[in-house]
Amino acid sequence: MCVGLAAKVVGIKNGMAVIDASGARREVSAELLQDLEPGDYVMVHAGIAIAKITDDDEDETDELMEML
Amino acid sequence: MTEKVVTLAHGAGGKQTSELIEQVFKAHFSNPEFTSDDAAVLDVGEGQIAMSTDGFIVSPYEFNGGNIGKLSICGTVNDLACMGAKPLYLTCSFIIEEGFPLDKLEEIASSMEKTAREAGVKIVAGDTKVAGKGQVDHIFITTTGIGKLQKDVRTSGAAAKPGDAILVTGDIGRHGCTILLARENLGIEADIKSDCAPLWGTVASMLETTKDIHVIRDATRGGVGTVLYEIAAESQAGVRLYSEALPVDGAVKGVCGMLGLDPLYLANEGTMVVIAPKEVADALLQTLRQGKYSKNAAIIGEITDVMPGKVIVKTEIGSETLLPQPGGELLPRIC
Amino acid sequence: MEKTKKTAKELIQDYDGPHLRIMEVCGTHTHEIFRLGIRKLLPPQVELISGPGCPVCVTPVGYIDEAVMLALEHQAVICTFGDLIRVPGTKMSLSEARAKGARLQVVYTPLDAVVYAEEHPDTQVVFLAVGFETTTPSACLAVKKAMEKGLKNFSLLVANKTMPNAYQALKGSADAFLYPGHVHAITGTKDCKKMEEEGVSGVVAGFTARELLTALAVTLEKFKEGKPFFVNCYPRVVTDAGNPSAQALIDEVMEPCDSEWRGLGVIPGSGQKLKKEYASCDARMKFNLPKIEGRSNPACRCGDVLQGKCRPSDCKVFGKGCTPQHPIGACMVSNEGACSAYYQYGLEE
Repeated sequence: MCVGLAAKVVGIKNGMAVIDASGARREVSAELLQDLEPGDYVMVHAGIAIAKITDDDEDETDELMEML
Repeated sequence: MTEKVVTLAHGAGGKQTSELIEQVFKAHFSNPEFTSDDAAVLDVGEGQIAMSTDGFIVSPYEFNGGNIGKLSICGTVNDLACMGAKPLYLTCSFIIEEGFPLDKLEEIASSMEKTAREAGVKIVAGDTKVAGKGQVDHIFITTTGIGKLQKDVRTSGAAAKPGDAILVTGDIGRHGCTILLARENLGIEADIKSDCAPLWGTVASMLETTKDIHVIRDATRGGVGTVLYEIAAESQAGVRLYSEALPVDGAVKGVCGMLGLDPLYLANEGTMVVIAPKEVADALLQTLRQGKYSKNAAIIGEITDVMPGKVIVKTEIGSETLLPQPGGELLPRIC
Repeated sequence: MEKTKKTAKELIQDYDGPHLRIMEVCGTHTHEIFRLGIRKLLPPQVELISGPGCPVCVTPVGYIDEAVMLALEHQAVICTFGDLIRVPGTKMSLSEARAKGARLQVVYTPLDAVVYAEEHPDTQVVFLAVGFETTTPSACLAVKKAMEKGLKNFSLLVANKTMPNAYQALKGSADAFLYPGHVHAITGTKDCKKMEEEGVSGVVAGFTARELLTALAVTLEKFKEGKPFFVNCYPRVVTDAGNPSAQALIDEVMEPCDSEWRGLGVIPGSGQKLKKEYASCDARMKFNLPKIEGRSNPACRCGDVLQGKCRPSDCKVFGKGCTPQHPIGACMVSNEGACSAYYQYGLEE
C-alpha cells in the first residue's frame, strides 16, 4: 500500500531534504526526522522522509537467517 | 520588440505562405528533389520499396535530447529501417497553431534537416497549414517516407521462432521518462535524455553482420513490454524475458522507483527490439555495442513454444511470472 | 549440531510443516510477491492471501462519488495520487468525470497540492487524502502548511485509515500475517506485539526480494514451532518506537472515527478525520457535501477477496466483465489489488 523509496540525502535546507535515488533527485520534507545529514539514507513515501535507514538489506536478512 | 509568430495569414496560401516556405522550409530542406510543383518525382531504381507514415504530437514539443522535428524524422526513418529498408525520401506536413514563435519553427526545421542528413534521407515535399489558437497543441507534424528494401532481408513481427534470441539495441525507457518529467509537474530532477535517434545506420550495421534477422521493431509508444506482446501474438510464440538482463539507465530506474512505474512500458524513440536465431545473437551484440546509438545493447530473452502469445518473465529470484499486459494510461502509483 | 545452511528460498521451497494461510496485508507486498513470482515457489500447503492493505481497494464507492461531485458541481481541481483516478464510483470514475470537464491533477505528494493551490489562488483545490499511517503524515503536513500560508482554497477529502482495528477485524482470516513494513516504520511494533500476546502470529516484512523471501522463511520456520510469534524482519527501517514525530503530527491534526472499508464494512475507530481546529480544510464541511451512499456492483466480490474468503478467480465477473481495462471492483483497479495481480500475473491456477 505504501510504495517506499530508499534514497540518499544529498542536501538539507529549511526542513527539506534533497534526496537522490540512483540519479533521480527530488526535494522531500525532512520535518519528521531529527538530525538528518547529507550522506544519510532515508525511506521516502509521498514526498516525506519517514525513517532513517541503512541502505543495504543484506546484513539485516543475514542476521535473521542466522537466528533460524 | 515583439516576437515574430506564425499567423493565420501564413496559412492562407498567398504571399506570406510563400515567405514562410522560402524562409523556413526551403532554407532547411533544400535539395535537388525538393519540389515546388504539386508532387515530387523520384527515381527509386529496381526492386521493392517500403512506405510508412506517422503523425507526431508531443507535449512539450522541445525536450532534453530533441524536439518534435527530430522526432518526426526519426520516427518514420526508424519504421522503414525496421523493415530492412534504407530510407530514401520523406514528405512532411505541418499543422501549426496560430501564434507559434517563428524562431522555434526555425529550430524545429533545422533539427529536421540535421537528422535527415544523418539518416541519409531527403525531404522532397511539404505542406503547411495554420490552425486557429487552441485548435492544435502548438505544432503537429506528419511525415511519410519511402525506403529501398535491402536484398534478402525479410523482417516481420510474425517471423519470430522458438529458439530465437531477443535483443534490445539500447537501454530502455529514456524517451518516456524524459517526457513524463517534462510534462507532469512532479518536481523530480534527473539527468535523463531522450534516446531519440535515427537508426538506419544501426540497422545497416546489423544487416552487414547477418541477413538472418527475423524481427526488428521500434519500441516506441508502450515500450518494450508492449512490443514483446505484439510479437508474441503475431508470431504465435511465447516470449521469455530475463528481468536481470534488461538494460536500464540508473536515473530512469530512480524515477520509476519514485513513481511506481516500470521502464518496460515507457516509450523509446531510438531503441529497437531485434529477434534473430541464437547462433547469430552474439555477433549481432558485438556489432551493436560498437554503434553510436547502441552501446548499451543486450540480449534480454528468448522466443519459446511455451504459452504462445504471452510474455513470461524470469525474475531476479529465479522464479517465473507473467509480464502484465500493458494498457491504459500510465499513472504514477504512490500509495 | 550443524544448523541448517539453507537459503531463504530453499527453506520456503522445502517447507514440510503443517498447512498455513499467510495474509500479506500490504498491497505493495501483494504486487512484489506477484512481480517476483514468489507464489510459484510455495509448496501446496502454504497459502498466501492478499489482504486489505491497498488504500484504493478499500476506499468505498461513496468516496469516489464525493470526489466526482466536488469536481463537477463545485468545479474544484482534484489533486490525487494516480491510481484513484480509475476507481469506479456509483455513476462514474474520476477519469470518466474528466471527460465531462472535471479538472484532475496527479501529484506525487499532497505538499505539491498545497503549492498548486498557492499558485492558483482563484481555484478551489481538494486533495484526496487516502492511505494508511504511512501516508497520513503527508496529508497532515499539507494541512498545516496550507493553514500557515493562510490559503483559503485548499482542503482535504479525508478517508485515511488506521491498521490496528483492521488487524482485530482480520484476526481469524489467516494463521500468520506479513505486516506492512512502512506502516510500522511510523507506528512501531507495539500493535504486532499485542497481536502476538493475543495469540496471533506475524512478521513485519520489507519489500526487496531478499527481504520478502527472508520474512516468509522466518514465518514458515517459526510456524513449525507451534507457538504464536512476532519477528521484526525489517529492522533497517522499522524500530520498536516507530517515528514519534509522525505519530505526534497525526495526533495533532487528526482524530479517530469509524470508517467504512470497501468489502469489510464499517470498522469502529479505524478511520481518521480532521480535528476541529483544522475544520476549515475539511472539504466535506467547506462544500457542505450531502451524505452519499455509494452503490457498488452487486456481482463484485471484492469484499470476500479482501478477507481471504474467496480467491479472485472465484468471483463470477473476474476476467469477464471485470478486467484492469474495465474494472468493476476496486481490487481490479489498483496495480496492488488482489484481482488485478491475479489477472495480470496469472501464471498460477
